[in-house]
Amino acid sequence: MTPKLEIEPGSSNAYHTGAWRTQQPVYYDKWPPCSQTCPASEDIQSWLAHATEQQWQAAWRKLTERNPFPATMGRICYHPCESACNRKHLDSAVNIHAMERYLGDMALVQGWRHQVLHETPQVQRVAIIGAGPAGLSCAFQLARRGYPVTIFDAQATPGGTLRSGIPSYRLPKSVLASEIDAILALGIELRLNSRVGVEVSESDLLDAFDATFLAIGTQRPRLYSESSGQDNGTTPSHSVMSGIDFLYRLNRGEAMQLPKQVAVVGGGNTAIDVARCARRLGAAVTLLCPQDPHGSHHHDLGTEMPASQQEVVEAETEGVNLRYRVGVRRLVRSGEHLSGVEIAHVDRVHDRHGHFNPVLFAGTEEFIPAGLAIFAIGQEADWQGLGYLSQVGEAEGVWIGGDAASQAKLAVTAVGSGYKAAMSMMATFKNEALLFDARKKTKITYKKMQLHYYPKQSRHEGKVSEARLSGFTEVVKGLVDDNAKHEAKRCLSCGVCFECDNCWHFCPDAAVIKKEGGYTIDYDYCKGCGICAQECPCGHIEMEPVTD
Amino acid sequence: MDRRDPFRHNVLTSGHRACSGCGEAMAARMVSDLIGPDAIYINATGCLQVFTTHNQQSAWQAPWIHSVFANAAAVASGVEAALRAQRKKTPVVVQAGDGGTFDIGLQCLSGMIERGHDVLFVCYDNEAYMNTGVQRSSSTPHAVHTTTSPPGRVSQGKRHLKKDLISIIAAHNMPYAATATIAYFPDLKAKVEKAMGITGPRFLHLLSPCPLGWAHDSALSVSVSRLAVETGLFPLVELEHGELTGVMRLAEQKPVEAYLRPQGRFKHLFDSKEGGVELRHLQALADARIRRYGLLETDTQWDTHSAMQSARHGRGGYASPMSTVEALNSDA
Repeated sequence: MTPKLEIEPGSSNAYHTGAWRTQQPVYYDKWPPCSQTCPASEDIQSWLAHATEQQWQAAWRKLTERNPFPATMGRICYHPCESACNRKHLDSAVNIHAMERYLGDMALVQGWRHQVLHETPQVQRVAIIGAGPAGLSCAFQLARRGYPVTIFDAQATPGGTLRSGIPSYRLPKSVLASEIDAILALGIELRLNSRVGVEVSESDLLDAFDATFLAIGTQRPRLYSESSGQDNGTTPSHSVMSGIDFLYRLNRGEAMQLPKQVAVVGGGNTAIDVARCARRLGAAVTLLCPQDPHGSHHHDLGTEMPASQQEVVEAETEGVNLRYRVGVRRLVRSGEHLSGVEIAHVDRVHDRHGHFNPVLFAGTEEFIPAGLAIFAIGQEADWQGLGYLSQVGEAEGVWIGGDAASQAKLAVTAVGSGYKAAMSMMATFKNEALLFDARKKTKITYKKMQLHYYPKQSRHEGKVSEARLSGFTEVVKGLVDDNAKHEAKRCLSCGVCFECDNCWHFCPDAAVIKKEGGYTIDYDYCKGCGICAQECPCGHIEMEPVTD
Repeated sequence: MDRRDPFRHNVLTSGHRACSGCGEAMAARMVSDLIGPDAIYINATGCLQVFTTHNQQSAWQAPWIHSVFANAAAVASGVEAALRAQRKKTPVVVQAGDGGTFDIGLQCLSGMIERGHDVLFVCYDNEAYMNTGVQRSSSTPHAVHTTTSPPGRVSQGKRHLKKDLISIIAAHNMPYAATATIAYFPDLKAKVEKAMGITGPRFLHLLSPCPLGWAHDSALSVSVSRLAVETGLFPLVELEHGELTGVMRLAEQKPVEAYLRPQGRFKHLFDSKEGGVELRHLQALADARIRRYGLLETDTQWDTHSAMQSARHGRGGYASPMSTVEALNSDA
């Protein structure tokens, strides 16, 4: 009889191949370029991920954590996020602003309300001066955390420049009003027709409140000084005007009669808005821009016009005649009547010290006929009556934000500054260190990603209205439902895992373990080959040297 | 038993001694996880056998037997016949390298197919005898540098061509024969599942890069295998009863240089005039294969681009999902 042979084989699990490793993979959530570029630091990847799953309300809540104006900003923001989007290296950038607008519009239709984060009321009272995007954003952040907030505004309606400066073909007034109402519904006190320094005194304000946020915007236009040119008489107000005055009167509903030909001076977004509005009022418009047109060459030189390229394209489509690198030499009049402007090639606008001091080349003069010249050449904050507040800072309980404080005068920058001021205030109240984002702020470029893992898919756009010049109705429509679903899926999720299983499939050592909602690496067995990091589509995995 | 992963069985588990970035270890784990633990695995001599059963520690969590180099197919024939006599339906799977398939095991494989045994034969092709120190095999492609085909005055690496094995196999009136590679998991999964649904002899030819023998960075195993397909040098095809029934269309044809550059075994081709001739020869070989299989024009379900697209929440898993593992746990 043969003896029974019993050999139980051991498992290779007993041998830890992890000891061979000289480098190891680590999962890191990174901060994608869209969020890095967004002045309101929206977590765009995160809300698009919710939208991909068609969890629309969750997406809207994630978005409004940083920006309570999705329907507004989705329409008017110049979306620096899209210029940074890594998807442009695959086909074209994700239409982030259209998705933002889609969520904002859905919230208005569905009547979603902002949630209060802390039920316990806080004691510190905050005064906010200015009910524009910065002031409302700051108020929103404070109010949903239980702070009593009062907003003072000099105008009869809230909204600031969003209301007075943005033409309604870009932003219908009803959309703005609904979003402001949703913010105010958090229990924010709003005092209209109350200009601080006039109707309300500085000292009353300082006595009644623990902190103040100055978001007064830039309401005073920079004026064209005719003394530098050869002015030969007084200027009747109907023939020369500032851009913001023009927009303000138009947005207030004033019926304006324009001459047949209008010249608009300036290279910024306000100039473009003015030009497009004047076209809608039936005038032939020439835009006199002191800078160079858009293009990488001029971009690198820093001489590119500051207006958004998309707006310039829209203006050209609508028949605005653009002239680049020209400056106004003088206004040409016959009597009181403006017959046009004399322009010339401008070599530079500001001197080395930043002062307005144009150099116009002789011999290049040209006459542009115009019955009205509108100057949109910049604007500044109006500090009248704010003698004390303009001198003090955060140590004295005064924060400043919005256009009055920033170089980049974008609405979304104002929203971001409101958020930052609110966070800074609350940190001061609680005597804590200010902490914005715990997530690792590593830049993730397309070179660290594997773009060939993504299907190519063209970008979805909102429909453009055909009869755009016939009035002030909105030009660009929102995305239709079906397109919104697909557009959300175009997000590459740069630097943030979307559970594609690549690392799990491709590990030769079964050292990547799949769990509900993610993966872990079993460092007992990982040999550090680097395949998972190499094949991760979104660059979520980093290889790090083993130190011990 | 290793049950770390609730989403697959890990039939080939961790702790095996394959080199870092081994394409064969990845391929074998994918294939065996797609088939599952309820199968009998027969392993010819080769890298896979050596690195998975080292020092009385087996990495296999399924019945597994080691044959000698030449006779894996013969052992499988016997196992299959015995199971048939017992009226058992347990799948039988042979795993062998290119040495055990193209060279040493070819006659046993031919016999197994000719007798119609119900066996899946999987060849993990790393294009040389890597286990014994990178000697040329009949699978080694033309112009490759191995220790027995060094480039020099006489030749630029291996003088001969790679054996066209899939045609030899298909010529046996083979029910199913297919080529696949690790870079296209959904394609591999579809082919394994199709093979497992067919009775009779079946053959899978998997290109599995070897970072050591091919002299590329260990992180590039998947990329290199993908480039082999995208350049046309390794066409992904399916043959049923000798007829071509499926190909993976190339979304775009890449120049062979993209595949050759990252690999040290082709380095000598970039240094000399003679090497340049061989580069053109390899490009011509790729072009010929693309023409032969219609890789650029055939209308297919997938192409090399769409077959690799990643998707949120993955694209399908393995034959051993949670339920199987739970059943195993409840048995224990």
